[in-house]
Amino acid sequence: MTPEELLEQVKQKFGDTVTESEVKGVEVRLTIKPEASWEACRFLRDAGFEYLNCLSGADWMTHLEVVYDLSSLRHPNKVHLRVPVDRANPVVRSVTDIWRAANWHERECYDLFGVRFDGHPDHRRILLPEDWVGFPLRKDYADERLVPYTDYGMEEKLPRPEAAPGAPKAAGPPKAAAPLPPTEP
Amino acid sequence: MEREKPIPIGTTAVMERTGETMEEMYVNMGPQHPSTHGVLRLLLKLDGEYIIDCVPFIGYLHRCHEKIGENRNYTQIIPYTDRLDYLASMSMNFGYVLTVERLMGVKVPERAEHMRVILAELQRIASHLLWLATFGLDLGNFTIFIYCFREREMVLDLFEAVSGQRLNYSFYRIGGMPMDFPDTWIDDCKAFLDWFKQRLPEYDALMGDNVLFQKRVQGVGAIDPKLAVDYGLSGPMIRSCGIRWDLRRNDPYSVYDRFEFEIPVFDTCDVWARYMVRRQEMAESARIVEQALAQLPAGDIMAKMPKNIRPPAGQVYCRTESPRGELGFYIISNGSVKPYRYKVRSPAYVNLSALPEMLKGCLVADVVAVLGSVDIVLGEIDR
Repeated sequence: MTPEELLEQVKQKFGDTVTESEVKGVEVRLTIKPEASWEACRFLRDAGFEYLNCLSGADWMTHLEVVYDLSSLRHPNKVHLRVPVDRANPVVRSVTDIWRAANWHERECYDLFGVRFDGHPDHRRILLPEDWVGFPLRKDYADERLVPYTDYGMEEKLPRPEAAPGAPKAAGPPKAAAPLPPTEP
Repeated sequence: MEREKPIPIGTTAVMERTGETMEEMYVNMGPQHPSTHGVLRLLLKLDGEYIIDCVPFIGYLHRCHEKIGENRNYTQIIPYTDRLDYLASMSMNFGYVLTVERLMGVKVPERAEHMRVILAELQRIASHLLWLATFGLDLGNFTIFIYCFREREMVLDLFEAVSGQRLNYSFYRIGGMPMDFPDTWIDDCKAFLDWFKQRLPEYDALMGDNVLFQKRVQGVGAIDPKLAVDYGLSGPMIRSCGIRWDLRRNDPYSVYDRFEFEIPVFDTCDVWARYMVRRQEMAESARIVEQALAQLPAGDIMAKMPKNIRPPAGQVYCRTESPRGELGFYIISNGSVKPYRYKVRSPAYVNLSALPEMLKGCLVADVVAVLGSVDIVLGEIDR
């Protein structure tokens, strides 16, 4: 099955719930509404994508997103499935009953993003302690221990657009201080 | 499938203590246990000497790798990837720079590609050697430990000559390699390979041909091939289930499609099969290094790159074959100097999640053998 044919089948079966779709090489990229995500995963598993490479999340400020990367051991096609979920009440149906690999991936996604997976058999935090407050990979998570990004002056060293003729020249680099007089031995 | 009611979030209910029989017992293995190679806690539920269930607890080495990555620029992340799998830093660097290059659409010079393959395959040899050494140590064979560390030390000497570091190399750059091999390095590397290939029968004599070792590992810790795919196992773990799946061959990246090598496969699915797969992979890696050294083209080692790396907005999931399996990096870029989202799919994390399945029905004494055969590195599991 070519990626185009697969995309056509998914569109026929899931209709309006597929909000975005694209074929890039051997990869089909889909965005599906959360209410149809489990059925879509089931459909894709039965279509030959028996290997769940990765399940991760992303925080887009307006909404959270659960991302599934699927592939097969028998053909080179891949699927990149994105499911946007509500940020205030992020719930999506667990796919542990489709791929067991999802178990720890979903626990990690809950741990770091706070997405709840309905029907997960062991819904606990996995990397952080159980009494941890907050979900660290959300963009609004604040922790004073986190060292923020500094560019160490790299941005200033970038070439700037030429100044208009006649404009006052920018000040050059500061002159080196005069060398100290040699000290007496 | 009948779905159970989910456990309320925030509870610690893991295993129900039924108390129906007197024989059931709970034993904590770890977090401080010499065979866990790091800080891993296994909660074992025992019936006499037999394991009924096992729950791994991880996260003791968690250090917010992904959050740190979102607050660093693309070049600054490279040294952090070293610390993911500190026994195979070259492979981690390789996976990461390949992902960023794929995002930017950069073509890396031929010589740099060959250098990358040479170093990554030497790293695979070093990583498997360390695995064999500590696996032997776990099972009480101290001699193999000394033998393997001798050869691993030679690989580390080669890496030190190239990068100046012995463990955390940070040697790959986005767009190529920072510097060429030193003058006599290629001859040194060939001399090492000649030496190393003659040592492989010694390992067989010490481990594989040892009847005590065979009795200890054959038929232990088996997992059904279908379950292995369902759990998303990768690397030697899936090849020991009789599935010929290697990303160097099945989804070729870099210049791996130009070399001839076998993919060792065993179908007994047990600890013995994992030993045999890794043992033969070392010989295949040596073959790849030899071919790459013979084909090593002259020329540039670095593509033309901007000073500030700003990949175009987009997202990519890129997978490579690290010594432990499928190493995936998932990066979302919004066109700035920092990644918007940076995710690591570490192979040992996924492989470890199938440990309870492998341990069911084993004896307590086999836990060490089965856990050792998974080849975990807690640095990349906990991230």
